[in-house]
Amino acid sequence: MANNNEILMEVKNLKKYFVKNKGLIQKRLEVTKAVDDVSFFIRKGETLGLVGESGCGKSTTGRTILRLYEPTGGEILYYGKDISKLNREQMMPYRKKMQMIFQDPYASLNARMTVSDIIGEPMDIHNLASGKDRQEKIYELLDTVGLNKDHAARYPHEFSGGQRQRIGIARSLAVDPEFIICDEPISALDVSIQAQVVNMLEDLQEERGLTYLFIAHDLSMVKHISDRVGVMYLGSLVEVANSKELYSNPMHPYTQALLSSIPIPDPDIAEASNRIVLQGDVPSPVNPPSGCKFRTRCRYAMDICKEVTPVQKEVSKDHFVACHLMDK
Amino acid sequence: MSEKLLEVKDLRTSFFTHLGEVKAIRGISFDVEKGESLGIVGESGSGKSVTSLSIMKLLLYPGKIVGGEILFNGEDLVNKSNREMMGIRGNEIAMIFQDPMTSLNPVFTIGEQISEAIIKHQKLSKKDAHEKALEMLKLVNIPDPEKRIKNFPHEFSGGMRQRAMIAIALSCEPELLIADEPTTALDVTIQAQILELMKNLNAKLNTSTMLITHDLGVVADVCSRVVVMYGGLIMEKGSIRDIYYEPRHPYTMGLLKSIPKVSSDEKQRLIPIPGTPPDLLHPPTGCPFYARCEYAMRICNQQQPPLFKAGNGQHESMCWLLHPDAPINEKYEQLKGGVRIGK
Repeated sequence: MANNNEILMEVKNLKKYFVKNKGLIQKRLEVTKAVDDVSFFIRKGETLGLVGESGCGKSTTGRTILRLYEPTGGEILYYGKDISKLNREQMMPYRKKMQMIFQDPYASLNARMTVSDIIGEPMDIHNLASGKDRQEKIYELLDTVGLNKDHAARYPHEFSGGQRQRIGIARSLAVDPEFIICDEPISALDVSIQAQVVNMLEDLQEERGLTYLFIAHDLSMVKHISDRVGVMYLGSLVEVANSKELYSNPMHPYTQALLSSIPIPDPDIAEASNRIVLQGDVPSPVNPPSGCKFRTRCRYAMDICKEVTPVQKEVSKDHFVACHLMDK
Repeated sequence: MSEKLLEVKDLRTSFFTHLGEVKAIRGISFDVEKGESLGIVGESGSGKSVTSLSIMKLLLYPGKIVGGEILFNGEDLVNKSNREMMGIRGNEIAMIFQDPMTSLNPVFTIGEQISEAIIKHQKLSKKDAHEKALEMLKLVNIPDPEKRIKNFPHEFSGGMRQRAMIAIALSCEPELLIADEPTTALDVTIQAQILELMKNLNAKLNTSTMLITHDLGVVADVCSRVVVMYGGLIMEKGSIRDIYYEPRHPYTMGLLKSIPKVSSDEKQRLIPIPGTPPDLLHPPTGCPFYARCEYAMRICNQQQPPLFKAGNGQHESMCWLLHPDAPINEKYEQLKGGVRIGK
């Protein structure tokens, strides 16, 4: 899919800290490092998958890129231009190019608006079409996502989960974006419906040359849809590689454990598999371990892991790993 | 043949809503043998959770069992009074729920909640029950159990809460454990821990397990037999190898084809099942999968198929294509058994 090497989005040392004032009498600040020094790039026309367990900062990364959250530090380069410090007005043209599909198809559509208004709203905001043109465009978008004209006047509650997700996708396409962040777009859907939505996302990518950041915790689906995959743990990106490479040759101990814990729907493989079961839980991001954040659960942890935070290294072409084991 | 612990015969459960009768389960039969793990898979609305609630008789208004039998050790649970059920629930049949965050009581310590079931069913003193609770926490691998027993649920992580739930469920050594989506709310690495624990305990305590899930991977990992549900009916049942390697029902085949294969190298397009599940307020007269089935025949819309024997042993499938007089559908013949996934 990605045949040219033009970089559409590059994120450099992105940080997003949430500060909460805890003390009632004495001021005590609690800092949650949701995204801590994350760097990656996405080429035009490709899909980058972002996986990790809940609380690892994958959704926060997505939202910070779109500036739905203000970044604490770092740069967000869209075709080389830093958009992390633009003001609201300067940001407007970029908002048209970058869109988002949300996880929960029930909460992300306004229950009091008709489908036609939901899909039309982005066009109104960006003054793209009005009157008859607008209506035509809405019908066209509904058709693109496999719904029809009759659905335009209905309200979200009249639709099933899969259909609502299609409405959400139509809305994101309304401004003809180049880049779409899909934040767990299929996790709320049933297995038999998931494949329908994934296939549609793939078709749209091909037709419109879209670039996706696909955030999910379903590792097998991420492998299926992505060209490259990044693995996050406690706010850090531990490994990024071509998806085939990542799944066949995971280098970071966390990626290895994560991949081996996917239940495979094949009894013979399930029986034969030598599962790496991680001990313990993910530490709290308020007080993460020093050095490498994974060291508390890592079976290869060494002394250096405690003191020095590992940096991302390119171990083979396009395969980046942040682990001290790679230095040996 | 081994002994049957639970036998469900032609169970029917409906919800009487103001819109009309929603037939959530429309006549299902299956059994759980002693010591085995049975998986029940299905999508939301297929009736898998209602099945477990019916067995526990925990259905809330307006839900009601309208027909059939639930034989547990030969005794019919359908006619048992609530008082009689209270002696069985938690004692002989225990249940683990999906959401460990909401199924524990936030105002009691973990120790008190485990002891509660022990005191109630085993008539132990408070002190002995506490000892037993501590033992249970050790059994489910909670680190530092002496300290943790005094914790409240909010001090536990999601995975630890689910371990505590398992400790409560197993504290009275039940014969049957019903686990309703026990790992759905957990992360994959934690899910792997819990599944490992459930498998070990199953072997150690010889408890029968009924695992309800939508995840075909989890079933392949834990269970020996599977029941596939759709639209309130059983579409297919058999051993895991029958179902995963030689599925005979178009729904099972479609389900297996619609999930991506982790182990395959080349990028293949997913084959989705078109359409959406049936509305059980007005269930179709024929096969519930008729509208989405690519092999559908005229009879499928008119008459509900019975369970046909498929292949060897206990493998059964509810599909007219297996009728001896059914016309031969070449695509189906080619695909059945040919959808082996994962490899």
